Amino acid sequence: MKLNEWMVKPTQQTEWIEGRGILLLLAFFFIELGAGIFFVATFFDGWTAMLVGWLVCAVVGGGAHILYLGHPFRFWRMVSRVGSSWISRGLIFVSLFLLLGFVHMVLIRGGDSSPVLMVSVNIFAFLTIIYAGFALNYVNGIPLWNTALLPIIYAVSGIWGGASVALGITLFTGEVSTIGVSLEEWIRILLLAYIVLIIVYLISVRYTNPTGKASVQRIVYGGYWPLMWIGVVFIGLVFPTAVVVISLSTGIENMPPGVLCAAIFCELLGDLAMRYLILKGALYNPLIPSSAPLQELGA
Amino acid sequence: MRWGMVIDRKRCIGCYACMVSCKQSHALPPEVFWNRVLISETGVYPMVTKQILPVICNHCKEAACVNACPTGATEKREADGIVWVDADKCVGCRYCLIACPYQMRTFHADKRQEYWPGQGLTELERFGREELYPLQPKTVVKCNFCMERLEEGQRRGLRVGIDREATPICVNACPVKARIFGDLDDPGSNVSKLIKERRGYPLHPEYGTEPSVCYLD
Repeated sequence: MKLNEWMVKPTQQTEWIEGRGILLLLAFFFIELGAGIFFVATFFDGWTAMLVGWLVCAVVGGGAHILYLGHPFRFWRMVSRVGSSWISRGLIFVSLFLLLGFVHMVLIRGGDSSPVLMVSVNIFAFLTIIYAGFALNYVNGIPLWNTALLPIIYAVSGIWGGASVALGITLFTGEVSTIGVSLEEWIRILLLAYIVLIIVYLISVRYTNPTGKASVQRIVYGGYWPLMWIGVVFIGLVFPTAVVVISLSTGIENMPPGVLCAAIFCELLGDLAMRYLILKGALYNPLIPSSAPLQELGA
Repeated sequence: MRWGMVIDRKRCIGCYACMVSCKQSHALPPEVFWNRVLISETGVYPMVTKQILPVICNHCKEAACVNACPTGATEKREADGIVWVDADKCVGCRYCLIACPYQMRTFHADKRQEYWPGQGLTELERFGREELYPLQPKTVVKCNFCMERLEEGQRRGLRVGIDREATPICVNACPVKARIFGDLDDPGSNVSKLIKERRGYPLHPEYGTEPSVCYLD
């Protein structure tokens, strides 16, 4: 594409995926995954999983987010516009989730627990999982993001990832036959929901406007089709689905641990690949309508 | 009072004077543009359409960037509607850059970036970037309607948009007077009259941002 063609053709979003922008992809992914692990673990009193989720969110996700900033030491200013900015709100949600989550873990470890605290932690954990979806949804210049389905997809994938990792942790704590069975039920439902959501999301964005159509084509048929079909569909969905189907007959406790771990790893890879495509495939509407048919960008 | 600009696309000849003058007066480094002239051809010969579109920050009344900024670095001045960035507050998250549907913001990465890599900065570039108009690296920058010139001009009692010392650089630089600057809240101002008489339009009004920059065809 020539330099000035962005006035009449869609242009790719680059700041939040190219170069250092990859840190933001990882930040959103690990923050939501960590919160998802913690969220699921609270329902089963899985202290180890809670700790893993807390650390993933705080250290990996939070660290990546801080590293992405141009001036990291000014991050404390990011709570100034809670009334309008989703990044501000997200920082509040993450901070309160981490603080309350830490207190919750300490209380549980001491043999004490507070239902009110648990509910509060879960509320902020859920808000932590979903806020990035709203942050992207706010951008009305990018049809691929400006859809009500995106926050829901982020919420489902965050909880699904959390449940999967929590299941993996039960392999090490020896609780597969108890907690693992319940987690498997969560995973079956969330996996099905995620598949339906992704299909509906791509179809609905395709009908939004020509830029939305170009975004979906770019992801599904364009230069990123290998990542979509191999990364998201086959690795991220088909393989885990196959394992879920097999476990329906054998029972999760009888599945080989290696297969379960592979399924969990593939699910996380597929989720990360989908998030990458959502950021990479994002196209801005052109500034003015073109008199010529819109051409696909390709990669 | 709400400062705004009208750009007459019928007059614009695509000479890039506005773009160059803005870059020079603000000592902008490579790949940082506050003013752009977009020229595009669409269609297939013989049915070809050439379009010239000078673009700057629209200083929207309902700016998406202002709502997106988590630190309050991006603000809209209540007195005159200019949207500006306080570099000392900017954390460099680039959410405002993403949120702007017109893609008018730039992340200023490195003030020592050279136009000809390996040859160093010229004396003029060094003076411009370090003394005349220093920009803070690792922050988001954009057009500010030359607000320093407007403030200085108002302080001296000049007429904004009419007297050259109180008018944005790009408006002064245009050789065909395709850019007009004035108060959109004043129905008797030159910009308001032009918008009404010649049916001026903003870019993408459906976004609800209410831009302060309008175009005439």
